[in-house]
Amino acid sequence: MGIAFDYAPDRPEHIEAILNGLDRYNPETTTIFQDYVTQQCEDRTYDCYANLALLKLYQFNPHLTRDEPVTNILVKALTVFPSPDFSLCLHLLPPHILAPPPASASASLSVLPDTPLAEAVQKLSHLNTLLEQCAYRDFWDALDSDDLYADLIADVNGFEELMRVRIAVTVGQGCRAVETAVAQGWLNLQGREFEAFVGEICGWGVDEVGVVSVPVNKENEAKGTVVREEVRFEQFGRVVRRAYEQPA
Amino acid sequence: MALYQRVPYETANLQNTVEDESDREEEALVEDYKEQVHFDDGMSELGRTASFGGAAGGGGPQDMQAQLAAAATPLEYGAALDTKFASYDNYCNLFHYILNSEGPVDLEVPTYYWAWDVIDEFIYQFESFCRYRNRIARTESTGEEAQLLRDNPNTWGCYSVLNVLYSLIQRSQINEQLDAMKRNEDPNQVAGEYGNRPLYRMLGYFSIIGLLRVHCLLGDFSLALKTLDDIELNKKAMFARVMAAHFTTYYYVGFSYMMMRRYADAIRMFSHILVYVSRTKNFQKNAQYDSVSKKNDQMYALIAICVAFNPTKLDDTIHTALREKYGDQLVRLQRGGPEALPLFEDLFRSACPKFISPTPPDFDTPDLNVDPVDHHCKIFMDEVKNTMWSPTVKSYLKLYTTMDLKKLAGFLEVEPEKLRSWLLVNKQRSRQVRWSEGALLDGEVVNGSDLDYAMQGDLIHISEAKVGRRLVDWYLRNLARTY
Repeated sequence: MGIAFDYAPDRPEHIEAILNGLDRYNPETTTIFQDYVTQQCEDRTYDCYANLALLKLYQFNPHLTRDEPVTNILVKALTVFPSPDFSLCLHLLPPHILAPPPASASASLSVLPDTPLAEAVQKLSHLNTLLEQCAYRDFWDALDSDDLYADLIADVNGFEELMRVRIAVTVGQGCRAVETAVAQGWLNLQGREFEAFVGEICGWGVDEVGVVSVPVNKENEAKGTVVREEVRFEQFGRVVRRAYEQPA
Repeated sequence: MALYQRVPYETANLQNTVEDESDREEEALVEDYKEQVHFDDGMSELGRTASFGGAAGGGGPQDMQAQLAAAATPLEYGAALDTKFASYDNYCNLFHYILNSEGPVDLEVPTYYWAWDVIDEFIYQFESFCRYRNRIARTESTGEEAQLLRDNPNTWGCYSVLNVLYSLIQRSQINEQLDAMKRNEDPNQVAGEYGNRPLYRMLGYFSIIGLLRVHCLLGDFSLALKTLDDIELNKKAMFARVMAAHFTTYYYVGFSYMMMRRYADAIRMFSHILVYVSRTKNFQKNAQYDSVSKKNDQMYALIAICVAFNPTKLDDTIHTALREKYGDQLVRLQRGGPEALPLFEDLFRSACPKFISPTPPDFDTPDLNVDPVDHHCKIFMDEVKNTMWSPTVKSYLKLYTTMDLKKLAGFLEVEPEKLRSWLLVNKQRSRQVRWSEGALLDGEVVNGSDLDYAMQGDLIHISEAKVGRRLVDWYLRNLARTY
């Protein structure tokens, strides 16, 4: 299932047109992209390539930057981990945003403003790190630990569910069976809710002995294979040609 | 022969240049063009000097030749800020003349490679100017030079640079031409008045490569790859005729792939060009080759990084050279763990492009002007840190067909939950998007590792992909001998 990075199934035509033309650099399209981000947050679609175009507009025109679209884009990028999207977004943000609170701040006269955006981006980066390290339980703990996170994810419709589905996908690739307690930690769900999610959405089985079993799929069967040599007819071209040539 | 009828760096002098009829006509053309290309920033830069056409007309072919040659020649090392400003104005004039004269211009270019050289040098000066400006803002933000830079925020602006490249691409209809060539149609049918001429065609073509580079320098790796949609990467491609262009293309494509975590594709790109260089280096003992040799080493460093992420069997030539250059380091990279981190960082910094920030720095708060290289390096290092345990995990798993998670955790002296996470991380990272056909951004998710495993509760099932014997080559070789 090859999917090109710049392809998004739900991308409207007018966005497609902007992305393919020089208007992607036109500061006036900023608002169009911003609305598109809002739309993605609402209807649970995702279009990384278009979001990067908005971040690029901000990169070129820093005075147009608005915090909310930036954080929403990052939060949306979290929902597709472990793809590189989150990093690709970070690359387009202004360099000072990720800089640790200045080491030179020991001289208490630091002028570096600890802007809300910088703080938000660093918080989200932390979440991203936990996800990329597959420390799912820590991810949920971190998410609950600070009210700021609640604000950041508020705009993204169904964030927690999207994350659960995503986590379940990665778990499904690596596991055939998981202890219930472990799975509950990873998905941050208990009791009936857990059973419903695992059974109905993931299609996994829960048995009495406290184990969740994941049906076999292409990724978790881990079958040994022998890579056989691929032989193409063209490789024999010279031999065949020689057969027709007159002996010298 | 003064090319400037105005004092440079002051937009106020725009009026002085609009004096006679022809200039006014040219201004009209510029206006016209501004409407075609929607953004204004860049165009007003280009449009503010309209003296080049006149200068070329009055000065005779020799001045023109000197001008063309100068545009493709590097500035001397440590050139003064004035020179850099003047050079920018020269480029504006030159491109303005090429793009906005009435109809295509006839230029006899100094060398066959001129089109490449001029685009290459143009971007190089843009890059070094941005880095210089950023450094000044960081270190001596109150000096005289800082003031001069502060007063001229639009010189070497990224909108102007992109505008030049996109304008050259549009004028020459090069994307349409390449598209026609892909379909085996005659490119001249769609080339138009400008694109039919070799000068415009080549400028347009190399501007695409230039865009690849600029996007990469700005940290937009997906757009960098997207830019090459119409260019097919093969030896028949036009860039392959100019060694430096060939080389540059593969470096930036490979680097962009690496930053998109498509290590197999990155390795494929780097290997291709490094093999090519090693095969042709005996024929290339000239200046062009010298410029290549530094990038050559950088690409070996990048290939070392990629191989550490994604162990692969390399071409023999590359493998030998890599062992020679980075033997000890390569082993440490592949071993992973926290000890390898500084090494990853060193190699990355030595081999990455010189990233730039597109906007003028903040001269009032020097602390805000972080070096873009630090920024991109930090993001890259996060990925290295997240995956640094993968080599350890793999080295153990290779020894078993089944293994108890808690027992392995005991061997590794980590908590079982931690190990469970490492296993998941490694599993995810072994799945990579890899190109098979179509545009550079296309690709399929494949398992890039010969080791695979799945967890069943605490039991790890491990499997390995073995490579069968390769017989065809042996058979053909011996068959050939019998003739």
